[in-house]
Amino acid sequence: MSEGLLKLEGLSKHFGGLKAVDGVNLQVRRGEILGLLGPNGAGKTVCFNLISGVYPPTAGQVRLSGRRIDGFAPHRIAHMGVGRTFQIVKPFAALTVLENVLAACGIRRYRSLIRIWSPWRSKIDREMAMAVLGRVGLADLAHRKAGLLPLGNLRRLEIARALVVGHKLLLLDESFSGLRHEEIQRLEAVIRRIREDGITVLLIEHNMRVAMGLSDRVAVLDHGRKIAEGTPESVQNNDEVIEAYLGRKGRGHAA
Amino acid sequence: MSAYVITIATLIAIYAIVACGLNIIVGYAGQISLGHAAFFGIGAYTAALFATKTGLSFWYALPCVLIISGLVGLLLGLPSLRVRHDFLAITTIGINFIVEAIFLYIPFFGGALGIGGIPRVTLFGLTLKGIGFFWLCTGFLVLSLAVCWWFTRCWAGMACFALREEEEAAAGLGISPVRFKLLAFVTGTAMAGLGGALYAHYMRFISATDFSFPVSISLLSMVVVGGMGTLWGPVLGALILSALPELFRPLVDYRILFTTTLLLLMIRFQPGGLLGETGFLRSRIAAWSRGGRR
Repeated sequence: MSEGLLKLEGLSKHFGGLKAVDGVNLQVRRGEILGLLGPNGAGKTVCFNLISGVYPPTAGQVRLSGRRIDGFAPHRIAHMGVGRTFQIVKPFAALTVLENVLAACGIRRYRSLIRIWSPWRSKIDREMAMAVLGRVGLADLAHRKAGLLPLGNLRRLEIARALVVGHKLLLLDESFSGLRHEEIQRLEAVIRRIREDGITVLLIEHNMRVAMGLSDRVAVLDHGRKIAEGTPESVQNNDEVIEAYLGRKGRGHAA
Repeated sequence: MSAYVITIATLIAIYAIVACGLNIIVGYAGQISLGHAAFFGIGAYTAALFATKTGLSFWYALPCVLIISGLVGLLLGLPSLRVRHDFLAITTIGINFIVEAIFLYIPFFGGALGIGGIPRVTLFGLTLKGIGFFWLCTGFLVLSLAVCWWFTRCWAGMACFALREEEEAAAGLGISPVRFKLLAFVTGTAMAGLGGALYAHYMRFISATDFSFPVSISLLSMVVVGGMGTLWGPVLGALILSALPELFRPLVDYRILFTTTLLLLMIRFQPGGLLGETGFLRSRIAAWSRGGRR
């Protein structure tokens, strides 16, 4: 068993009386795909926002490679090698697909007060961005305006941007939702290849079949608490998980 | 060229410089500013004070003017840029009124009398007036356009574009929103300061009302009419909004009515501006250049 890359310790986020995330402990191991599951409103996206720095936690810690990162601003966490996508896609609509990825390639300059003045139309960055677009299968749409792309392509564009930034950890927030069957299969292959490149992936997923098929391990949240963790098989048969998703026993099977 | 035409042309060049600065803030970084005239005024008052109180020549004072305008921009931008959208609009309006009030009520700035007796600019022993000063302003306009051009091509500009489109996603790519918004704001306010210094030395008398809120509105109209985020948009906007009122001189009392009507019509029918993405002029130019190549 390899060491933990990301560690959540007693992580909590309360919005007034609402305990969106409540004392979650979780360890993501280096090089694995961990699926974060749970019904709507379970606190999955809030968890992502805590890890990526959108909100500071109410209590608890987030550790990346042993270093505390909770309370850091999102751009600082990005500089530490954490890339993320958004449940509601956020493309830079007026820019081309290539420029969207180039904006991510700038991460190596954005912290320097001198290098931000160098031109972004350099060959090296262009090639790097094209290579990333190739990995997610968007290379032939590189010069299209991002705002004109359909949802499936936008989800892949978000993954491309996140890949440039997230050389350590990738947070994918429902990257499969709203996609057609063939698109799902292609995206699954993309994510498997990302893992083969040694990048750790933490993904939120609603589609059970996809989540179970793709993840090495899964953790299930319900009402802000972690109710189960383990291999997909063990979690699938966990009573508490079945109850969270389907209600109490004896009401018959839902799909 | 008659003196009258030269006067209008010089003012167009000065307003174009200031509008270019506003375009960096509004068009490139996507941060609404309804108080740009305040920074135009800060540049003008700084230049006027240097010239009348210290006797420093325009050329020596100019770097100080740019630095002071930029620094005040930094100081006022720091709290303002933490709020977004309509709140930022209101904050910048507030800045405009406060700065105007300071010019008007503090005796150091000449109070209601303003500052007069600002000397003309000299270059190589030559006093620049009329056409000479027009060329000086045109030169500075070219320089400002070069800065804008470079801004869209460097990583700082890319960071601003990303912030303009989706702030949260941009932050997720390592772009510090505060840093890059401030960078755009400081660059834009320094450019307004440059315009202000030229204005002061051209008019040779300035008062607080030259930099009041309606001026901010007409500066923003220039950017919107020409095309937000385009290189030449602010220049075209400055040309249209300064030349048209002159052509319809008898209607001068309705100037604000004219500006705001134009602004509303543009937002309704040409939201990207005349030179913007779907702009009327841009498509004409594109069609014309395609025809020319055939």
